Amino acid sequence: MADLTLSNLKKSYDGKPVLHGVDITIPDGHFVVIVGPSGCGKSTLLRMIAGLEEVTSGTISIGEMVMNDIEPADRGCAMVFQNYALYPHMTVRQNIAYPLRIAKLPRAERDSKVEAVARILNLTEYLDRRPAQLSGGQRQRVAMGRAMVREPDVFLFDEPLSNLDALLRVQMRIEIKKLHRRLKATSVFVTHDQVEAMTLADTLIVMNAGRVEQIGSPAEVYRKPASIFVAGFMGAPAMNLFPAAIGAGGALVIDAPTGGVGIGRTSLAEGTPVTVGVRPENLLLSETAGTGLPATVDFVEELGGSRVAYCTLGDREIAATLPPGDQQLEGRSVWLTLPPEALHLYDRITGQRVDVPVHAARSSIPSAFELSM
Amino acid sequence: MTTDVLRAPRPMARPLRRISDKSGLDTAAGHVLMVLLSILCLFPVYWMLASSLRPANAMFETSLWPTSMSLDNYRQALEAIPIGRMLVNTLVFSVVSTAFQLLTGLLAAFAFARWTFALDKLVYSAVALTWLVPFQVVMIPNYLLIAQMGLLDSIVALILPNLVSALAILLLAQAMRSFPREVIEAARMDGARNWRILWDVMVPNLRGTIASLAILIFISTWNEYFWPLLLSRTAENSVIQIGIQMFMTAEGNQWGPLMAASTLASLPVLVIYVLLQRQVVQSFMKSGIR
Repeated sequence: MADLTLSNLKKSYDGKPVLHGVDITIPDGHFVVIVGPSGCGKSTLLRMIAGLEEVTSGTISIGEMVMNDIEPADRGCAMVFQNYALYPHMTVRQNIAYPLRIAKLPRAERDSKVEAVARILNLTEYLDRRPAQLSGGQRQRVAMGRAMVREPDVFLFDEPLSNLDALLRVQMRIEIKKLHRRLKATSVFVTHDQVEAMTLADTLIVMNAGRVEQIGSPAEVYRKPASIFVAGFMGAPAMNLFPAAIGAGGALVIDAPTGGVGIGRTSLAEGTPVTVGVRPENLLLSETAGTGLPATVDFVEELGGSRVAYCTLGDREIAATLPPGDQQLEGRSVWLTLPPEALHLYDRITGQRVDVPVHAARSSIPSAFELSM
Repeated sequence: MTTDVLRAPRPMARPLRRISDKSGLDTAAGHVLMVLLSILCLFPVYWMLASSLRPANAMFETSLWPTSMSLDNYRQALEAIPIGRMLVNTLVFSVVSTAFQLLTGLLAAFAFARWTFALDKLVYSAVALTWLVPFQVVMIPNYLLIAQMGLLDSIVALILPNLVSALAILLLAQAMRSFPREVIEAARMDGARNWRILWDVMVPNLRGTIASLAILIFISTWNEYFWPLLLSRTAENSVIQIGIQMFMTAEGNQWGPLMAASTLASLPVLVIYVLLQRQVVQSFMKSGIR
């Protein structure tokens, strides 16, 4: 199978654009996850690849062949839907066999393929049941089996895990990844869940409002978010973002209750409007006065393996991830340190990443700090 | 003052009711009412059956149970008119009309539900409007058409205007529109074209609606009277409703054979009801008809 290429793909409904020129190349055999908030156009994009939505302009190609006008069943794609979309009146066996029946495969061959797929997905004992007699996870596996049996070039997954409970979601995620390793088929997986996105993807595509914000490996997208949107979307809790200014000598200055505070030095020109981002796990929180920016802890979320302290710094809320502990922090005054090497800079006008290093500030915050818990 | 009001004991507005308290219909009065209404509905049917078993000289007895019973009325009815032939004609008329109305309804409803095309709303409204046109408005033009085709006094003439039904199209279109879109898309991804999507995927899942509609159409065509009255010239090509009417003459009504013929005419529909009573009730509920 060749690469799947989307070139300047656009989609409008009644003149209202929902996709604004998407350019993506999906290498053969890759597991690509498209992640973004609801309404960003990721499902529309997937459906256009499948052939279930018309293309307004642009092309969808597999290798050199343009697929825009090709029937869904002839594109070599198989889709797993969010609500499973099983045929309610057919048994599991008949559901999985249906595409083979349409392809007029001989019965013996059909049966053997169905049984092989059922074995892989642990569905053998459920073959004579109807979808109504199955659990959510079993139905999802039947939907995957119906896709697998066609031996497609491309698997398309449209938020297939969103209707499952948390535990089942984790199990199915692992099954999907194992299946991908086994079949080595190109897979395009759409989700709004960033944990799914990070754990499943070889390549992650972050979308927002009909545009691609960033394409990269999960680590790349997490460590170097390309825009304010990606920075705020990826990561739980989200990255802390606040406006800053470049002062004299490239000083990076943010507003604090005590006034403007320099938190680093950059090579940017004075007056450049920037937004500073720092991940909650990179913030340092201390109860020792004068060791950082003063804040008050409003609320602490207990996650078991860690805690998240939501603090008020001036007029904004900051989240800081802390190691587990029993100390009561709510209502206490704390001091926050933003390590320069952990800061991300974004152009406040365009929202795009500014890739310049941030060095330690010459003054205002002592370099020594304490982590008191 | 506010706290005094809050602290003061609240007067009991009404006695507390237990969850197991029965609803109105479960009370004895409710049951009595339902029994009375049932008797009111069933009594004419019982009287028809009882009258069909009374001899001619006891036809106007008012006793609930016939004092003497005989099958003479049935014998007379069978001798007077070709009831068997008429029942077969009516069955052919009803079954063929039902089958064609379902077939054309399914195809038209699928088109409305599946595609958006130019003037589709106008066409849909036009179909709905035909439902509002009374039979009396179109009976003469239809009669003239049938006469021009040389089909008077034939079963084909009875069936022709009943091949398509706006009710079938509207009900099926409504059911198809609420069919999960993703299941249809899954079928498209699996390689099914529209014909297979309709027959392999949609129709098996609309069995309830189709069965309800079939019952409605069957009962409606079985009871059809005026159109067969216009077209039929001979008893052999008539339907049973016309046959029953033959016992009502200017010289007087032959109540015994009339009741016997009516009982025989009611049997097929009663059998359908006994076998499919759940779907019959649902079909009336869905169509909004009593």
